[in-house]
Amino acid sequence: MASDVDTAPLVGRADTVGALRSALLDDVAPGQTAAVFLTGESGVGKTRLLTEVGERLRDAGALVLTGVCLDIGDASPLHPLRQALRRLDADLTEARTSSAVRGLLQVFDEETPGPDGAGALLERVSRGLHLVAGGRPLVLVLDDLQWVDRSTRQLLLYLLAGLGDLQLSVLAAIRAESLQGAHPLRRVLTELRRLRSVRVVDLAPLDRADTDELAAAVVGAPLAPEAADQMWRRSGGNPFVVEELARDLRDGHDGLSDTLREVFLARVDALPQPAHAVVHAVAAGVEPVEHWLLAQVVRLPEDQLIEAVREAVAHRLLVGADDGYRLRHRLVAEVLAHELLPAERAALHRRYAETLTSATAELHQARLAHHWRLAGEPARALPAAMAAAREAERLHGYAEAHRHWSAALSLASTPPAVLPDGGRPEPVEVDRAELLTHAAESAHHCGEHARALALLEELAADPAGPPTCALHIRRARYLAAAGRSAPAEAEYRRVLAADDCTPRERATAAAHLAELLLHLGRYAEAGDQAREALRLAAEVEGTASEVVLASAALGFSEAYLEDPDAGLAVMRRALDTAERSGRPEDVACAYLHLAELLTGPLNILEEGVVVARRGAERVAELGLGRTWETRLLAIATNGLFRVGQWAEAEKVVAAALRHRPSGADAVELLLARCRLSVGYGDVEASDRDLEAVATVLAGGGARHVLPMLILRAGLAMWQGRHDLARQAVQRGLTESRSDDVIVLATLAWHGLRAEAEASASRTVEVDPNAVRRLREVVDRVAAKSGKAGAPVRYVADAFLALCAAELSRLDDGRGDPELWARAATEWDRRNHPYPAAYSRLRQAEALLARRSRVATAGKLLRQAHRTAQSLGAVPLSEEIRTLAGRARVALDEGTTARPAPRPRAAEPAAPTVDELVVLTAREREVLAAVAEGLTNREIGQRLFISERTIGVHVSHIFDKLQVRTRVQASAIFLRNRAE
Amino acid sequence: MTEPVWGPVHQDIVGLLADHPADVPAVVDHLTKLQDLLVRLPPLEESCPLADFNKLYLVITSTVLDGLYDDRFTDPAFLARLDVEFAARYFDALRFWTDSHPSTPKAWSCLFQRMRGPDARPLPSAAAGVNAHINYDLPFALVTTFDSLESEPVDASDQHHDYLEINKIFAERIPELRRGYLDHWQLMIDMVNGDIDDWYQGELVEYTRNVAWRNAQKIWRCRHDPEARECERMRLDDNAALLGRLLLSPLGAFLQ
Repeated sequence: MASDVDTAPLVGRADTVGALRSALLDDVAPGQTAAVFLTGESGVGKTRLLTEVGERLRDAGALVLTGVCLDIGDASPLHPLRQALRRLDADLTEARTSSAVRGLLQVFDEETPGPDGAGALLERVSRGLHLVAGGRPLVLVLDDLQWVDRSTRQLLLYLLAGLGDLQLSVLAAIRAESLQGAHPLRRVLTELRRLRSVRVVDLAPLDRADTDELAAAVVGAPLAPEAADQMWRRSGGNPFVVEELARDLRDGHDGLSDTLREVFLARVDALPQPAHAVVHAVAAGVEPVEHWLLAQVVRLPEDQLIEAVREAVAHRLLVGADDGYRLRHRLVAEVLAHELLPAERAALHRRYAETLTSATAELHQARLAHHWRLAGEPARALPAAMAAAREAERLHGYAEAHRHWSAALSLASTPPAVLPDGGRPEPVEVDRAELLTHAAESAHHCGEHARALALLEELAADPAGPPTCALHIRRARYLAAAGRSAPAEAEYRRVLAADDCTPRERATAAAHLAELLLHLGRYAEAGDQAREALRLAAEVEGTASEVVLASAALGFSEAYLEDPDAGLAVMRRALDTAERSGRPEDVACAYLHLAELLTGPLNILEEGVVVARRGAERVAELGLGRTWETRLLAIATNGLFRVGQWAEAEKVVAAALRHRPSGADAVELLLARCRLSVGYGDVEASDRDLEAVATVLAGGGARHVLPMLILRAGLAMWQGRHDLARQAVQRGLTESRSDDVIVLATLAWHGLRAEAEASASRTVEVDPNAVRRLREVVDRVAAKSGKAGAPVRYVADAFLALCAAELSRLDDGRGDPELWARAATEWDRRNHPYPAAYSRLRQAEALLARRSRVATAGKLLRQAHRTAQSLGAVPLSEEIRTLAGRARVALDEGTTARPAPRPRAAEPAAPTVDELVVLTAREREVLAAVAEGLTNREIGQRLFISERTIGVHVSHIFDKLQVRTRVQASAIFLRNRAE
Repeated sequence: MTEPVWGPVHQDIVGLLADHPADVPAVVDHLTKLQDLLVRLPPLEESCPLADFNKLYLVITSTVLDGLYDDRFTDPAFLARLDVEFAARYFDALRFWTDSHPSTPKAWSCLFQRMRGPDARPLPSAAAGVNAHINYDLPFALVTTFDSLESEPVDASDQHHDYLEINKIFAERIPELRRGYLDHWQLMIDMVNGDIDDWYQGELVEYTRNVAWRNAQKIWRCRHDPEARECERMRLDDNAALLGRLLLSPLGAFLQ
């Protein structure tokens, strides 16, 4: 009975279905993203749950796309999404959505390889999905995510990070067993599960009651106690097992089969011959096996085929859907695997391959290669594997391409099997050097550096391989990409020394070597090498790229060696060269390096920002908006932030994000925007950007973690969560390299500030261990920055000034005004108003705590307040106002001080009503502090008046309120506090 | 229903394992809390074999943390990630065991089974844990770490250098830990034997850790092939389980 296949009710999952619906639709704010990853053992009902939830979401008005990942590891990039779109297209009735779907499918068909291809494709896909969704929430349902290809994985993270500007939810199922060991998704899930928008739901087996209910539903009556016990023991609550065992029980097969395996074996045995053939054919195919394809492979007349399929479905071995047939369960495949002779299986693959040769289908080339290989015909599999590799490269899926090229290589060296008719097939004829070249290049592009180098060695040994000089350059390129600087340097030097190298090749090698030396911090050598490269490039036409590269190396090395003017002049000339004769990429690159030089080591911020913005306009004209414009605008944003033009920075970053950038560029911009949000005190926006960064980084690129941690600490500080700030700093300290002086100095300052503020506001205990470690870091940074280049020292010193001042706060609880004054001066000199204003606030605080030079303190507070106000730095302004209120400093000329704003940590609101009217404003402040449980001494420290004066205030309060104890006074305060 | 896996501290352990530590300080914190719970586990309490391992692991990880703070490693980002990934696998095994899940690695379950007795000597218990953790978990932790850092396991790299540095931590820590286990009688034997046993134990860890590095390189090469990867995983699990059972057998008592 084919109709009875899916009628078993969904038992014990009602809560999960409801929770998933809310997580994926109801609780998702407009424009936001959400994801649920469902893990569980096979048979626990993941697929069933996906279907149920998908239907509910569809009924609730969402557009649901459903795809399945394939376990032929060498599939095509983005296959699950393309399959989902095709399925949707088949079901659609609305013309508008249908044309959007076809438009998006066409994007894949028309994609061509090119620079920034992968990123641009992500952008096009997200725009396409936007049209498909047509204003509805979009839900992507993916089954068997453990087999997902790398391109799809990156797309998911990109969309979930909100970079596609799309309201999207993802519901994906993952087989728990697969996550053991070193599965790439493991790490992704560990990172994602920390985010608020993501849930990882582990689907447990059914409990005893639910097991009984499901079994009873299948059988049609409650099971006898003994049978129910047996069911529970055998199934362990796995609903798939329960269902199948219950069916056997109902059909009177009980006692025959102890395990699921036996259940399926018995069913396979019971099949009539044609149905048997059908099941074996589907097992050998790539699911879903289309009906027409199955017909060709089993060679049955239509009516017999349909009959056979019905039998297999009725025996619950096969399932049919619109797009084709699948085996009901993996176990079926395992049972069947032992039933066929190798020759029989090879024959099935041959029939698949022959049929597919004359017809196109999904994953055409990948499937052809798969079937020909298993049919024992490497010569015919090879061209298909190569075509599949090119197809993957066209969609920028270098990881998939690499796998196809590797398969092609191994096919090329497989001896052909003897054909069934006894004849020998044609020997494989292929250009091995070409295969090696492609395989090495694709390995290089997908980050398989060791493999790329090994392939290059094979190529070097091949007589038809490229000349030695070209090999050295490629080897050096691969080594540099792998971060293996020393051998890379040696390879470049070999090029420079080799006789068979052309002048152009030498110029290229010299320019790259200069860049490498610069990264290694060997500035003098980098400068010499860059000069040499420029000399070599001057002798050859069309070497603008080399000129730009070498000039950048020279410019930076001069800057580090303290001749900024010379460096700047070189870089400006390089820009001219690029504009006159270079490719658009050369122009973009020259602008980028010039802007980086100005805003980085030279710290000429305003000009750097101007150059970056001018460059952004120019590269947009040149058609390089997406990649280079976003990078230049990121530089401009960070420069504007530092010089204090936050509103302008906000506009620039928004413009850059409209390009929907991906990868490291996206992370850079999100961090820049987050830095602004933290400054503004916009917690929600900051959190969103931090989550987005974490989402992108879950896919790799852990080197960007440190700036994220620094921002997390900064944000936590404004929220009074000094414990969280401490955690972020500790993680940062344990993960940063000792030569990364600026990062360490920044972290140390954040850490010390967190401890000092924890101590001042009593949110958490000061951690003496943490303070000790931070002191050590400060000492180490001081020692190292003395030896670092001048630009590094310049930045590090400013942070060290802040560290010293924070330490003084920790040492005596008040802080040393001199040290804060020094910090303010350091930051003023660097033209960074934000930290300068912060330092002034602390300087004023320290002066007030000593009750000395109150007028100076007032002046400082007013100055800091003006800066903070003009930046829009809300939390900093608030803190300045709080302090001014406590010290009774008027911030605005001509007006009196505002009533003391609430202390942030405890947040008692200002008292408003009757009983407290009798008190003066100052007395109310004192009373608020009394109610917090502070001693007179502590209140004195907070309000900058002596302990004795507080005592006087307290006795006045007691008199006026007619109470005798602090507890009574506090009670009145709390009673009258406005809620 | 049957008694919960962790007896009276079940809820505490479930609560602890619900959290996934993200950095090395958090891992140390986790191991510390776990230690406090394990020694309260009847019937063995203080002599819980898993606590013997956990204590050793805590000491090693704390030393790694100090090393990270004190600038001991060349690539701290790598080592910190590795440490977190490494620990995650131990916590995973505990989570599987808590759920009585069939996926609990065999390498671990042979030690977990002994938590209810019979009593095992502390040194073989700790060694069985080290065996499971290094022979089974470490290669996978290495692969995942390199994957997430977009780097590769290359001999003589900075990362390899840092990885080998951990051997020194083992060598530094094991002699004192080893003495910590000894009662008077054994202390006498130790005095007679000098440091030979310490040397032997240190060598064992170093040897095993190099095997783990090689295994990681092997898995690295087939990490995109689900079938080959699973095959490799089962091989490692079987081997580690075999050695683990040996260590916990009466034969293992000779170690002590």
